[in-house]
Amino acid sequence: MTLPYNARMPDGAATPTPSPIVLEAIGKRYETASGAVQAVGSVSLTVGAEEFVTLLGPSGCGKSTVLGMIAGLVPPDAGRVLVHGAPCAGPNPEKVALVFQDGGLFPWRTALDNVTFGLELRGVPAAKRREIARGLLEPMGLRGFEQKYPRELSGGMRQRVAIARALALDTPILLMDEPFGALDEQTRLLMGEWLVGIRRRARKTVVFVTHSLHEAIALSDRIVVMTARPGRIKDVIDVTLPFPRDLNAPEVTDLRAKLWDQVREESLKAMGSPP
Amino acid sequence: MKVLAWRLGILVAILVAWEAAVAPLNPMFYIPPSALPGALVRMWRVPELPALGEHVWLTFKEIAGAYTLAVAAGLWLGFLLGLRRTVGRIYEPLLAALYAVPSVIWYPSLMLFFGLGPASKIAFGVLLGFFPIVLSVLAGIRQVPATLVTVARSMGARPWTVFSKVMLPAMASTMVGGLRAGLALSVVGVLVGEILGSRAGVGYVINYAYGLMMTREYAVLALIAAAAVLAVDTAGALLEARVKRWAG
Repeated sequence: MTLPYNARMPDGAATPTPSPIVLEAIGKRYETASGAVQAVGSVSLTVGAEEFVTLLGPSGCGKSTVLGMIAGLVPPDAGRVLVHGAPCAGPNPEKVALVFQDGGLFPWRTALDNVTFGLELRGVPAAKRREIARGLLEPMGLRGFEQKYPRELSGGMRQRVAIARALALDTPILLMDEPFGALDEQTRLLMGEWLVGIRRRARKTVVFVTHSLHEAIALSDRIVVMTARPGRIKDVIDVTLPFPRDLNAPEVTDLRAKLWDQVREESLKAMGSPP
Repeated sequence: MKVLAWRLGILVAILVAWEAAVAPLNPMFYIPPSALPGALVRMWRVPELPALGEHVWLTFKEIAGAYTLAVAAGLWLGFLLGLRRTVGRIYEPLLAALYAVPSVIWYPSLMLFFGLGPASKIAFGVLLGFFPIVLSVLAGIRQVPATLVTVARSMGARPWTVFSKVMLPAMASTMVGGLRAGLALSVVGVLVGEILGSRAGVGYVINYAYGLMMTREYAVLALIAAAAVLAVDTAGALLEARVKRWAG
C-alpha cells in the first residue's frame, strides 16, 4: 500500500526542534448551574515527535477537556499549552487536526465533501482537494463510497471518513477523542490495527483519548492514566512492546492487570464509592 | 401511477356522492357540483365588478408582498434573537406569548393603521406568516449540533464560515418547515383580511357573492381559493422534502 498522503518528514535541521506538545500545569474550571467544577487539575506533560500518547481514565475525568485545550478550542484558565514551542491561542489547523468521538461528519455532505472540508477552508482549488480526498479514502477501503452520505455508511466507515478528514489537513499532530468509542468491540479492534498501520506510515504525533484498556495497550507508546475529577495525571506507563501487539502475550496481560488496578480505583471514585 | 389513479377515483366518488346527497335538498344552500362551472362563468360577467382576473392578480400581489416581508422580518429577528443569547433570552418569551394570541384580534387595528386598501391585508399576511418563520429559525439554531461547530472551528473556520457552511445547512430542514408554514399563513392572512373588509381581491369577491346570496358563485370561489392554497402548500411540501433529503 502506498502512503495515503504526503507524509511530513522531520526536517533535517541541526537545531533541536521543540517537542510537538508541551502542557505546563494546565487546569480548567467550568461554571455550571450548581457551582464551579474543576474539570482538570494541574496537568503537565510533554509529548515527543511521532509519539503515540494515550490519555486513559474514567468517564468525566477531563480527558476530552485536555484534548480541547491542546486543540486550542478550550482556553485553559491555569498554565499554558505549547505547540511546537509556540503558546497555543485558538485553533491551529496548520499543526493540529482532531477526530471526534461520534465522527462529527456533516450529514449534508458526501464522504468526499466531508474530507475536503478543511481544504476548502484553506482555499485549496476544488480539483486538487478532491484528488487529495480520493487519495485518502481509497486506501481506507472507501473506494466507491465517495459520493455516499454519512447516513448511508456503517459506523466504522463513518469513523474512517472522519479520520480521513483530519488527515487531509496534513498536520504533524493528530488528536483523537475516543474515535472508536461508538463502535462495536470487533470493529473497534480492527480499526485499532488499521490505525497502528496508518500512524506508522504517516509519522504523526498522536494524542488519543480512550477509556478502553485494550485500545490503550494496543496502540500506545505511552499511557497516561488520569485520576477522577479533577483530572490529574496518576501514572505514566511506557509501552515498549513491538507492533503489531499480541493482546494475549503475558506482558500484555500483566500490563492490563496493572492498568486495571489504577483505572478501577479512579472509576470507583468517579462513581462516588470508596475504593 | 396507481396512487394517482386511486386519488382521481376518490375525487370522482366524492363529487358523485355530493351530487346525489344534495339532490333532494334546497339548491340555494346545498349546491350540487354540477352547478359550479356555470356559476364560475356567471361570476366572470358580474357587471358591477371588475373582471375576476384583476381580483386574483391583486390578491396574488398582496400575498407576494406579505410573504416577502414576513420572510425578511422573520429571518432577521430569528437570527438576531438566536445568535445573541442575551437579546434572545429577553425577547423570546415575549414572542411566544404573542404567538399564543389569536392574531385576528389585531386585524381591526391594522385596518385603522393601514386603511381599507391592500396595505392592511399585506400587514395581516405579514403578521400571520412571520411567527412560524421566526420560531423555526430559533428552533433551528438550537438544533445545530455543537460538535459540528467545534469541528469547523478546529479546522480554522471563522464565525461567518461557521454560519454559512455549518449552521445554515444544519438548520435548513427546520427552517424550510417554518418558511412553508409561513407561506400558508401569509395566504390565509391576506384572504381573511380581504373577507373581513376590503374593496378588491379574491376575498372581497367571495364576500360580495356571499352578501348577495349568490351561493353558487360563493362556493365556486371558495373552492378555487382552497385549491390555490393547496397548490402553494404542495409546492412548499415538495421543496421541504427535497431540502430534508439533502440535509439528512
